[in-house]
Amino acid sequence: MNLAQGVQVVSLGLLSLMVLGAALGVVLANNIVYSAFLLGGVFISISGLYILLNAGFVATAQILIYVGAVNVLILFAIMLVNKREDFAPISSAWIRKGVTGLVCIGLFALLSTMVLTTPWLIASIPASGEQATLLIGEHLFSDFLLPFELASVLLLIALIGAIILARRELIVNEPASGVDAGLMLPERPREGVAVGSDP
Amino acid sequence: MLKFLKQVGDYTKETVQAAKYIGQGLSVTFDHMRRRPVTVLYPYEKLIPSERFRGRIHFEFDKCIACEVCVRVCPINLPVVDWDFDKTSKKKKLKHYSIDFGVCIFCGNCVEYCPTNCLSMTEEYELATYDRHELNYDTVALGRLPYKVTNDPMVTPLRELGYLPQGIIEPHDLPSAPSGLPRQ
Amino acid sequence: MSKSRHLLSGTDKMNSGINLQGSFIDFFQGLGLPYGTVKLLWLPLPMLLLLLGATVGVLVVVWLERKISAAAQQRIGPEYAGPLGVLQPVADGLKLLVKEDIIPANSDPVLFTLGPMIVVIPVFLSYLIVPFGQNLVLTNIGTGVFLWIALSSVAPIGLLMSGYSSNNKYSLLGGLRAAAQSLSYEVPLALAVLAVVMMSNSLSTIDIIEQQSGYGIFGWNIWRQPVGFLIFWIAALAECERLPFDLPEAEEELVAGYQTEYAGMKFALFYLGSYVNLVLSALLVAVLYLGGWDFPIPIDPILQLLGIDSNVPWVQLITASLGITMTLLKAYFLVFLAILIRWTVPRVRIDQLLDLGWKFLLPIALVNLLLTAGLKLAFPVAFGG
Repeated sequence: MNLAQGVQVVSLGLLSLMVLGAALGVVLANNIVYSAFLLGGVFISISGLYILLNAGFVATAQILIYVGAVNVLILFAIMLVNKREDFAPISSAWIRKGVTGLVCIGLFALLSTMVLTTPWLIASIPASGEQATLLIGEHLFSDFLLPFELASVLLLIALIGAIILARRELIVNEPASGVDAGLMLPERPREGVAVGSDP
Repeated sequence: MLKFLKQVGDYTKETVQAAKYIGQGLSVTFDHMRRRPVTVLYPYEKLIPSERFRGRIHFEFDKCIACEVCVRVCPINLPVVDWDFDKTSKKKKLKHYSIDFGVCIFCGNCVEYCPTNCLSMTEEYELATYDRHELNYDTVALGRLPYKVTNDPMVTPLRELGYLPQGIIEPHDLPSAPSGLPRQ
Repeated sequence: MSKSRHLLSGTDKMNSGINLQGSFIDFFQGLGLPYGTVKLLWLPLPMLLLLLGATVGVLVVVWLERKISAAAQQRIGPEYAGPLGVLQPVADGLKLLVKEDIIPANSDPVLFTLGPMIVVIPVFLSYLIVPFGQNLVLTNIGTGVFLWIALSSVAPIGLLMSGYSSNNKYSLLGGLRAAAQSLSYEVPLALAVLAVVMMSNSLSTIDIIEQQSGYGIFGWNIWRQPVGFLIFWIAALAECERLPFDLPEAEEELVAGYQTEYAGMKFALFYLGSYVNLVLSALLVAVLYLGGWDFPIPIDPILQLLGIDSNVPWVQLITASLGITMTLLKAYFLVFLAILIRWTVPRVRIDQLLDLGWKFLLPIALVNLLLTAGLKLAFPVAFGG
């Protein structure tokens, strides 16, 4: 085993440990902010695994999209919600816990069978390496065009939804009926703004 | 369609205008860079205080008649005048006089109204001390001759803008005048 | 565009320019050391050199910032620490180094310590891709500029972390603002880079510069991408939180934003990170739009005219040092511009900032991208076929 191989094995072990440890931390941490930061750690470790697989472009995209965008948005959402509250005790919580446990075990079983049944042969085609960017682009615009476009439509829907949620018009001349106006926020109730009912 | 094009045109025009203004601002900032610094390197260079500068007050013990006009005209009755009535000469005799410069606002009313001119303004302004009680000047401290910027060999005296020749705004460039610059 | 160019890796590239690694390995192998050991000896050298260079570059920028700011305000600036005050940044750094490290009582000590590190590390990592010459780059990886964009998007996590863990509302607001700003300006930045990448058919910084070389100053991307250059520079200033966009630390409203509770070396890390980032952005503008290491006059024709072989060692040494000088000169010119802008343009409000990002820069960047694609199809000669 020469130097490069040794480095690869050691970093593979380290990265796997980091993925597992951080993922367990995400689930087990009491503080939700810790979970969110550890999620970022999981994403970064996975991108390290991609680098070990000679997939530089995918690793970079992983950092840009999952760490730079998704994780930051999750953190944003956590930090913009109101102050923490104690959980109210739920009656018959065991039903929920049981259902959750079942779903999780089912997922785990599915994944394990997938891992066991897949023939993990190393492909005879050499890794594309630096050419990966080009190949990904070609695939996205030929045989994976439909999923790609579907994903973009999904994102567009999410975008419009976010805009509708965030956009509340200021009340012009419409005092709230029944409620003391001093206690209301100077905003129109959310139902008033449907798409197309532009004032 | 035409309305939209007009909107786009207006928007472009505004953008170009904004860019132009930022460019003008940048050129002004750039122009400032070739001007000489106006900095006075304070402990080494000092501006010569102007003629009517109101600095620390100087007091001449012998001239004072203890009339207390300075106390009356002072906005906060600051000067402390301690006197005895001398029965033989039937005159007030001054024992002690003090002004607390930690409280004084240097309005100059006492100097203005003093009938015997025993109070006068100096050009001294470096009054910093480690204890505010040291600012309460007694007769001796008030009687000290003022420190002059032009007599200090460690200090380069600089003339203020109003005392410079016509058309010159930079005291550093003047030929080095002997100490005790003429003031017009 | 030939695909073969991408397949060449850094070491076996047969091109002009000095090959320091090759000579180093040859020299030590000549002394009887095995190849692996020599390679191990070589590996940390360029990294350490670049780290050192980046830090010294920051010292220079801090000094420049002080001196140019002083000149713009008709002051003198630092004067007594060394000739013309050049040692002032060193004195600052030493002061911060020995200052007490304070962790606020109700803060979260782990996140409070991690925050500055997460801000600084990606910035230094980005220096991987900055080329100073044909072979004078740490790694010529295929995803070059894309890596920089990805790494710079990690920094907001550190800012959010430090803002949250300080347990201070100003810090939290500053951190949130920093993250929002950095997210919204990443988009036009990436689109502006994409237009350049489209012309050079590669994400690698070396390829981008090579595509600009050959015609001297007229080959630079700034003539083909003037709008992209402006978008990139505005977005880069916003990413670095330089003055027209320094809302996250806005002294007048947020005390110092996410830095409020920091002191000593942790504060120094933020300070260092912001200036390293400024230099990095300036270097990348130089790479993407101002021809990187290229001299304004093409050198190769002159050498041919004089009948000098460009592979002679002393010629290579001169061109390499010229390349480094040109890159640094361009970068520092842009830093100068940033300082001038700092004292000219007032800070924007947060809504104006987001308006500028989403309603102005983003559409223009999209139009610029489309236009570049169209021009590339119409004039493949001038816009990289």
